[in-house]
Amino acid sequence: MFEFNLCARIETCYRAVRCIYVNIPPMGIKTIFILTAISFGLDARPISYTGGSTIMSFSDNMKDSLYYHYSPSYKYSVGIENLRDNYFNDDYSYVRFTYLLNRKNTENSQRNLYFQSGISSKGFNEYFYGIHGDWETRRLFVGFGLKETEKKIQDYLEQYYQIGVAPYIGDYGDFHTWIILKSKKNSLENKWSTYPVLKFFKGNILMEIGYHEKTNWDAHLMYRF
Amino acid sequence: MKKFLLLTFFTSITWAENPHEHMHHSHEGHLHEQLVDGKKLEVDPMRFDKFVMGLKDSQIAVVNVQGMVCDFCARGIEKTFKKDKNVKKIDVDLSKGKVLIAYNNSQEIKFDDIKEKILINGQNAIDMTIIIL
Repeated sequence: MFEFNLCARIETCYRAVRCIYVNIPPMGIKTIFILTAISFGLDARPISYTGGSTIMSFSDNMKDSLYYHYSPSYKYSVGIENLRDNYFNDDYSYVRFTYLLNRKNTENSQRNLYFQSGISSKGFNEYFYGIHGDWETRRLFVGFGLKETEKKIQDYLEQYYQIGVAPYIGDYGDFHTWIILKSKKNSLENKWSTYPVLKFFKGNILMEIGYHEKTNWDAHLMYRF
Repeated sequence: MKKFLLLTFFTSITWAENPHEHMHHSHEGHLHEQLVDGKKLEVDPMRFDKFVMGLKDSQIAVVNVQGMVCDFCARGIEKTFKKDKNVKKIDVDLSKGKVLIAYNNSQEIKFDDIKEKILINGQNAIDMTIIIL
């Protein structure tokens, strides 16, 4: 049902994407989501520590996706995202690259700005690029993202903004909770959706769930190893 | 939109700071001065007692770290130090922004090595104090 056949010999990144794409049918992704019970913003923690890997699933009104990335350095990550495009009723993959443009560490806060990009398995003329950033303390969190997707059918822009607060300050290893207000819009629907998101994490697992009556569930699950 | 993103991209690279810029502090001799002066360490006493419980013939490196605001983001620090066979134990104190690392007494502790291990996780180690048990 869900077969990670990376091919006996991967000749190119593009070929690798095609192999994974071929072997994960749309229902396979759906099943993974069901098995994980809930799915989870790809933009949260897009780069791991040096040598770290992250696997995440994401689902909203636009797409259901499964994304794996590896970080050769804390400054960038490379990965493969296999997705079901709910808006254009299509299935394809992206080879993704994320780069840490700027980070400011202080005693009580961290601020990040990332560049993100991806090339589609459907051709080099289908791709996306964008920036996203965040600033957080142990109590407060703000973030934003802008992403332009180029497709043969129609190009579109997605954007989101979010602000969050931790209702309690957990210690290292505790179960952590964030209450976030998220607002997003894409140029296809051209309407803002603002809704609450809950973020939980413990150890190497992170989960985000949001709900809006029009766009339904936003869900994001992440495991880092 | 393309112009905006490209402008942001290049502008950010230009003013992107080098994390190493935070690490000008040399602790050769500075540690000794701190210990002689009896400077108060900002370490949670209960946490420290719990950490050193059962440790013998050890020394503890108490490292001040900037940007360690999130449990999920600090995981890599623990993983990295646990790979070091010279490290007996490690603890991350998010509330104080400290990392406690236990080594054998005979082990030479190099702040540059610790700084590098913290940096590959994306945070900055700014100073260190060694406590010999």
